[in-house]
Amino acid sequence: MSRSIPSLEVGVSKQVTRREFLNLLGAAGGTAAALKAGSALGLLPHTAQAATLDLRAANPANRKVAILGAGLSGLTVAYELSKVGYECTILESSHRPGGRIFTVRHGDLIDEIGNRQYCEFDDEPHMYFNAGAARIPSTHRNLLAYCKELEIDLEVFINENKTSYLQDPALLDGKPIRNIDYTTHTRGFLAELLAKSLSAGEMDQPFTDPEAETLISLIRSFGDLNEDNLYKGSLRAGYASGGFLEHGAQKDIIAMRDLLKTQMGRQFLNANEGDTGPMLFQAVGGMDKIIEGFTNHVGHQIHYRSMVNAVEVKDDGIDIAYDQDGTRHLLQADFCFNCIPSHIMTGITNNFPTQYVDALKYIRRGTAYKAAFQAKERFWEKEDIYGGISWMNNPSKQIWYPSAGMHKQKGIMLGAYDYGDGELHTAMTQEQRIEAHLTDGEKIHPNYRNQVEKPITIAWHRMNHMLGCSARWQRDRNGWTHEEEELYHALQQPVNGRHYMIGDQVSMHSAWQESAVMSAQWAMADLNQRLMA
Amino acid sequence: MLKTFLAFGLCMACIGGTSAAEPEREPFDDRYCTTCHGTDGRGNEGVQAPRLAGMEPWYLRRQLENFRADIRGVHAEDREGIAMRPMATKLTDESIDDILGWISSWDYIPAEATIKGGDPLRGRGLYSACAVCHGADATGNESLGAPALVGQNDWYLVTQLKNFLAGYRGAHPNDTYGAQMRTMVSTLRNEAGILNVVSYINTLSR
Repeated sequence: MSRSIPSLEVGVSKQVTRREFLNLLGAAGGTAAALKAGSALGLLPHTAQAATLDLRAANPANRKVAILGAGLSGLTVAYELSKVGYECTILESSHRPGGRIFTVRHGDLIDEIGNRQYCEFDDEPHMYFNAGAARIPSTHRNLLAYCKELEIDLEVFINENKTSYLQDPALLDGKPIRNIDYTTHTRGFLAELLAKSLSAGEMDQPFTDPEAETLISLIRSFGDLNEDNLYKGSLRAGYASGGFLEHGAQKDIIAMRDLLKTQMGRQFLNANEGDTGPMLFQAVGGMDKIIEGFTNHVGHQIHYRSMVNAVEVKDDGIDIAYDQDGTRHLLQADFCFNCIPSHIMTGITNNFPTQYVDALKYIRRGTAYKAAFQAKERFWEKEDIYGGISWMNNPSKQIWYPSAGMHKQKGIMLGAYDYGDGELHTAMTQEQRIEAHLTDGEKIHPNYRNQVEKPITIAWHRMNHMLGCSARWQRDRNGWTHEEEELYHALQQPVNGRHYMIGDQVSMHSAWQESAVMSAQWAMADLNQRLMA
Repeated sequence: MLKTFLAFGLCMACIGGTSAAEPEREPFDDRYCTTCHGTDGRGNEGVQAPRLAGMEPWYLRRQLENFRADIRGVHAEDREGIAMRPMATKLTDESIDDILGWISSWDYIPAEATIKGGDPLRGRGLYSACAVCHGADATGNESLGAPALVGQNDWYLVTQLKNFLAGYRGAHPNDTYGAQMRTMVSTLRNEAGILNVVSYINTLSR
């Protein structure tokens, strides 16, 4: 994989801090030099383009590739290797490509073991639900590069919406409040607190006078404090009335003591930070348009309903036994790229090395759960909500309003997303799940029950041929252990230079499409390097 | 397109009733077993699904019926049972017959020993209580309703013995054989006893 390496070679003595070095460099070489060096030192984000694979053409005697699983990583491999002359065969155990990139539309089968459903949404282009991957951050440049190359239309995904709701039974007797009320008042109170401590003379000591002045003006602006550095409410929360032809009237403040009754701010205030901080996108018409972009090129290579039975890595190739239409078949290949979920791969006969198998067994499977409803009318638009997420302190956790189809009659809304531990809903019957989401949702939208219909639920832990959502490597929230890193690197390496595990499961940042793409690119680049050696 | 094409070629009882104007819906059947239990029914530690190949049809039937009747897989701590039960809940008698026939076509290959830390010598003593029903060679006894233990995944045996001991399995009033197991498993006393007895079972000829 090529990376843009800044041309400036830098040597930093241990006596000089990196920041001091940058200051010096900035003085000598100007801002551009400092920026370039900062990137090399890891202080600034890389401005590198997406990785460009420079794969050499396949050797005719060594060009058969078996790809196990038609998920995004498998399709990435098929697409790239086909370009340079490899002969790829993709074995997919289910009836569809895309794995956890799964857009549900009218008539689709949701093949949950023990809870099969057909989607009965109206048959219209905007009436779809992204049951798996749903967001593409603008920093996920490898995935975005494929979207560009494959001409996938993208549109903005609305993640945070200031008019959406926050609801917690502990807060104001469970009355839902708008995002903007919570954030405006919380910022106001935090700012007032900070301003007070700053003027108390302790905090400004490390700062010069001009710095302290800037700081206090920043704090004042952050929280919309008055000249006395007090928070007395803010028009930022919107108007109680008026605002256009008449003066806008300020809303009442929600007391800090009341806001402190909810713990949800911890998640809520981070909703547009981290992974979901950059501008987010979705594929127009459903996330599986990305998959379609790949299958337009390599779809003919996919064998559906083909379950792998055994993988044997040999000195001169790989034998793959699989079942299709009640018959056992043998696929012989020179190389194999395997995105079968680790917890399913453990049940497939193989001759992998012990540590490799240990790594497969170590990964736990995610339990994420989603549910969606068809709304008979886009009732949220009457509440000034267009796209975005409402947060609830109940097991359904979130409601997503669609980012597309504005002002149409109907829409598909997410009615529950348990991204952490979906086992509660997974263990319920379909009827219990739906009732739970209706009960939860009507805490925000009182008439919800009558406004929505045609529910679907997706318990990834039970989806046929998946049995799990994104891989979980870490046992400890605080970070990866040394043992975990070793297992991860063992699994990333090929068996006998021929068999690669791929997918977001072979990344340190599972659950993102970018990780699936990058794991595939890493594996192909590694193979390429071995073949060049 | 593809889906229409795939709509044919499947063998099992498909649901029907789609209107003529609509494209054919993706068919399905009840042969879900292989996703968890493996294409040859040899079990999968990764999802804690035991081997079915070689399991006695009468035992399999009883368990499927127990799952279906909410006799097994209902205790909140029986995680694997909870995963299994919703699948069985949907099965008709015909589906169960079909599945049993299908499973009987799989070759029996004994599972590898995986557990560590047990003492087979101590386990041998403990096994004498088990041998009454399951046989000295652990090959089971249909007339007593006792399945074979030999060749089964050892991690599965450990989990089930723990579940019996803790009352996660076998506590339902209609689970006659489960109640017997609960009585007998008390002789193993604790996890160490369970590991010992399963290590001994691992030494028996497979």
